[in-house]
Amino acid sequence: MAESSIDPALPKEVRLRDLRPTEAPVIVLGRVVTASRREITRRSDGGRRPVLSGLLSDGTATVRFTWWDPPPQEIDRGTVLRAGPVQIREWQGRPEISFTWRTRVVEASEAELPRLIPEELPARRVADLSGGDEGFRLEVRILRAEAKPVTVGEERRLVHEGLVADDTGPLAFTAWTDFHLTEGEAVRIAGGYVRAFRGRPQLVLDERSHVDRIPGVGLPPAAAFVSAPPRAIALLEAERGSDLAVVEGLVVGLLPPSGLVYRCPSCRRSVTQGLCRLHGAVEGVPDLRARIALDDGTGALTVHADRAQTERLGGRTLEECLRRLRDTPDPGRLEEELFEALFGTRLRVTGRASVDDFGLTLFPREIAPVTPGVGGRAPALRDRLAREGRP
Amino acid sequence: MSGRETAWRLLAAEFTAAIEEEKGIGDRAASYVLSPGGARMNRVAVVGVMGAPESLGREEESPFYRGRLEDPTGTFVVTAGGFQPRAMAALRSLAEPRPVLVVGKAHLFRGRDATVYPSIRAEAVRTISESEYRMALTDAVAQGVERLDLVRAFREGAGPTEAEARARGIPALWRRGAATAAARYPTIDLGPFRAALARALDAAEGVPEPAAAVPTHGKVQIHRAAPAAPPAPIARSAAERAEEAAFLDVIDELSDGSADGYADLRDALARAAVRGLTDAKAEELVNRLEEAGVLEEPIVGKLRRA
Repeated sequence: MAESSIDPALPKEVRLRDLRPTEAPVIVLGRVVTASRREITRRSDGGRRPVLSGLLSDGTATVRFTWWDPPPQEIDRGTVLRAGPVQIREWQGRPEISFTWRTRVVEASEAELPRLIPEELPARRVADLSGGDEGFRLEVRILRAEAKPVTVGEERRLVHEGLVADDTGPLAFTAWTDFHLTEGEAVRIAGGYVRAFRGRPQLVLDERSHVDRIPGVGLPPAAAFVSAPPRAIALLEAERGSDLAVVEGLVVGLLPPSGLVYRCPSCRRSVTQGLCRLHGAVEGVPDLRARIALDDGTGALTVHADRAQTERLGGRTLEECLRRLRDTPDPGRLEEELFEALFGTRLRVTGRASVDDFGLTLFPREIAPVTPGVGGRAPALRDRLAREGRP
Repeated sequence: MSGRETAWRLLAAEFTAAIEEEKGIGDRAASYVLSPGGARMNRVAVVGVMGAPESLGREEESPFYRGRLEDPTGTFVVTAGGFQPRAMAALRSLAEPRPVLVVGKAHLFRGRDATVYPSIRAEAVRTISESEYRMALTDAVAQGVERLDLVRAFREGAGPTEAEARARGIPALWRRGAATAAARYPTIDLGPFRAALARALDAAEGVPEPAAAVPTHGKVQIHRAAPAAPPAPIARSAAERAEEAAFLDVIDELSDGSADGYADLRDALARAAVRGLTDAKAEELVNRLEEAGVLEEPIVGKLRRA
């Protein structure tokens, strides 16, 4: 009854989670997650009209917004906006908002955003998360956390990366704020969101996320994941990859380009015939890599070994390769020698596996040669052979 | 998703018993050799002991080598020619018998007398240590017993569904291979394959093998394969034999009449067309005959009897 006493013409502020297509005037409040500016050509007279579009989030949900005729000044990522009345439409089951000529847009403060109360958010499990999810609560164990400096535009920032897990599996995370996460501790995370990164979901934590330490009684210990035994490549493929994959197999091939490669000095993309896809003619910087075809008899995948890993596996540093190339100017020979060093060796590889058009790809964190041996498997096998039929 | 073909681990006893295949349809489609033990192989990774290979290439420009890779259960025939320079170089460097790993493509050649010869066109070859050999044998046994049990389950009509296989951690490829084997070799006795696995396990553990345990090559393979052949492939191979003979006649005619002693491939295809062989069929014949070492193409587009 309280609502009827409010003048229906007065716009109402709505949480993004509760946004529904309506004719009634609605005010929204949210932080700009992404924004990009472009121009749209009007069909009627060919005139050009500027438009800013991107994602707006208030911690309860993220929605796409389109701002017609935005102000000329930059709208920075992270700016909190209050806008109303906005137009709400639904596209593919998700609400979208437009700021039209009638919409008043003002900058608001971070403090005005709805306070997230972790208990009020629905609890989710790692295995159920997919790109675009937010407004949930997650109880996980930290398997790994480390800080990495990155360059965002002109700015140098520290990003905290790692892995979390519950009993449904591991999940990669990126945090733009230091939550002092340490390996092995159990935490409850609220106010994070999930994005798809190279075909896998990734949890993103920002300044509005909450992290609380919990006892984590039901959570598996970190060791259960980190020192897990290798799994069949076929199963990894059936699960469309994993953020913490452990496989063991034989090197059955080396895919081009492997060995000595040249990279663009500005973007690190590999240079072919002296040309970078983005920067044109460049002076390539030499680098070593190996694209290893690893096979365990159930499936095959490609392991992307970086310079340090390739140097270790091939037994030769980049400098040694370059020196050799000066003495014997045949890069094909270098690749062949790398192949000879690797072919037929058995490797245990831990890292992040994802599926793309070329099959299963593993970005390794660790590559360890396996000491050959029967490994105590014989008695169980003999037993199995003695019994006819299924175990 | 277009992944890489998996390299199947298996023993010679199972590989040499293969008489069935699945030909890919269309351009660049993969073909598969089917073993009774549930391997559906385009590529294999096998181990054994191999000595110096024999050279089959007649000319220096068209080298071709064939080696015998012996494991505790039988012998794999391994070939490499000028189109596999890496594998050929490795084969040629072998002198004394040593444990060797071979990764390559599985092929099935049907001879004129309805016998089939499975062989491996090597992609890469490497000598391995004794302990690597033992580990690889153990892998082949571990995977072999798993696949045999799957084949048995499919024969009994109790094969897992895709979902069941996934839940039980059975690789999708193995499930498919076992289902195929159960359909294509419905009656072959699986007992000898199980016995072969046990023999290989003994060898992997270092139990000395009885002298007679290693079968002699050649005859044993044919012997094992021929009685299991269902009637259909034999009928097909009779037709194939006729085609082969017709095509070889064409080659002989052409090379007799040519100045350099070679039959020009295009002329051969044209004459084959007159005899009712389509281009695709003729190409397939050329490939098959080259594979078998009956024909060779020392210069691109020029054929002759090997």
